[in-house]
Order: sequence, then structure tokens, then C-alpha cells
Amino acid sequence: MTFEEMIKSVNSIFINILDNDNIVLARETTAKDIEEWDSLSHIQLVVAIEKHFKIRFSSGEIQGFKNVGEMCDNLLTKV
Amino acid sequence: MEKGQKFEIPLVISEEIYNGFLQIFKDYNPLHTDSTHAKSKGFSDKVMHGNILNGLISYFVGECLPIKNVILLSQSIKYNKPIYLNDSILFKAEIVDIFSSVNLIEIKYSFYKKEHLVAKGTIQVGII
Repeated sequence: MTFEEMIKSVNSIFINILDNDNIVLARETTAKDIEEWDSLSHIQLVVAIEKHFKIRFSSGEIQGFKNVGEMCDNLLTKV
Repeated sequence: MEKGQKFEIPLVISEEIYNGFLQIFKDYNPLHTDSTHAKSKGFSDKVMHGNILNGLISYFVGECLPIKNVILLSQSIKYNKPIYLNDSILFKAEIVDIFSSVNLIEIKYSFYKKEHLVAKGTIQVGII
């Protein structure tokens, strides 16, 4: 899977969980860029991503991601 | 807590629960309060409020899990059969997934009346 394919998959999860069809993720995207992305929806996003890709993050990894790009890079190492 | 852990709670839909729910939330819809109306709609008697079951879910999450530092994050419920006054209900729940990265536990639950499924759904509980 390429980075572009990965971020596209993650993008559809964000759209579904945050209920916002206009979300377009980029490598540098952070919670500051998306209004609906708050601490509670963050939990739902992580759970949905872990379910979708059948992987598990550690809490350290989750806290360490600076942006969506870093999360996608990490995902690419797990899938 | 661990995946596969199961819980069971019996509940009788007592007059006290029914009247308490009515007085607090004031849902006096005839389906819940008028036996003749309910029977005309095909039910055996006045139907108890489905959200009474949600009250038990609140009790389960708040009091029956082995830890108290919990918060209900999301919950789904699908009603399969009506419940009536003085029905004996059995709540069954199982931890089906744990997401330690975000301290979330996913629980699937069902309510039974004898062997009939009354309602079911999923609860997501955060550990705080």
C-alpha cells in the first residue's frame, strides 16, 4: 500500500466518524485543522482506524503522532 | 477487565421503575399509559418505555464494572420486543474488545425476557 492509498483510506474513516464530507487530509493535517476533531472524537477515530486495519497502536504511538502523515507512516509499517 | 469477560444483571420492570420514569421524564404517550390504546395497536398491554433499559445500562457502566473510573462514550440500542409492567428481564453483557491505545472498552449487550431477545446493542466505555 502506498502513502497516497493509505491517507485516502484514513480520509474516508475521518469523513465517516466526524460526519463531515469535506474533510481532505494532508500529511501535515492536525486536530487544529478540523473542527470536529476533538478529544472525544479522537478516541472514536483511533478505534475506527484500529478496527478498519485490524491493528493496534500503543498509547505511546498515539501520543507521539504530530500529524496525520506520521500516523499514516506508522500504519504502513503495521499493515 | 479482559476480553470475553461476561456480566449478567436481572431486573424486574417494577411499578416503582415505571412510575419513576413517567414522573421524571413525563412521557405519558398513550402507548405507555393506556392499555386500551396499546391493545388496539396490537400489544398485550401498555408498553414500558424502552429507555428504562438505558437506565439499567447506566447502572451497569457506573456500578457493575470492576472499576469506577469510567465514562460512557457511546451506546447503540435496537429494540426487538416490547416489555411490560412486572416483566423479568435479564441483562447480559460481554467485553468484546479493548483499545488500550485510547483506554476504551467495547461491550456488546442484550436484554432477554425468558429466552426472547428484547433489545441489544454496543457500549463504548472510556477509562478515565
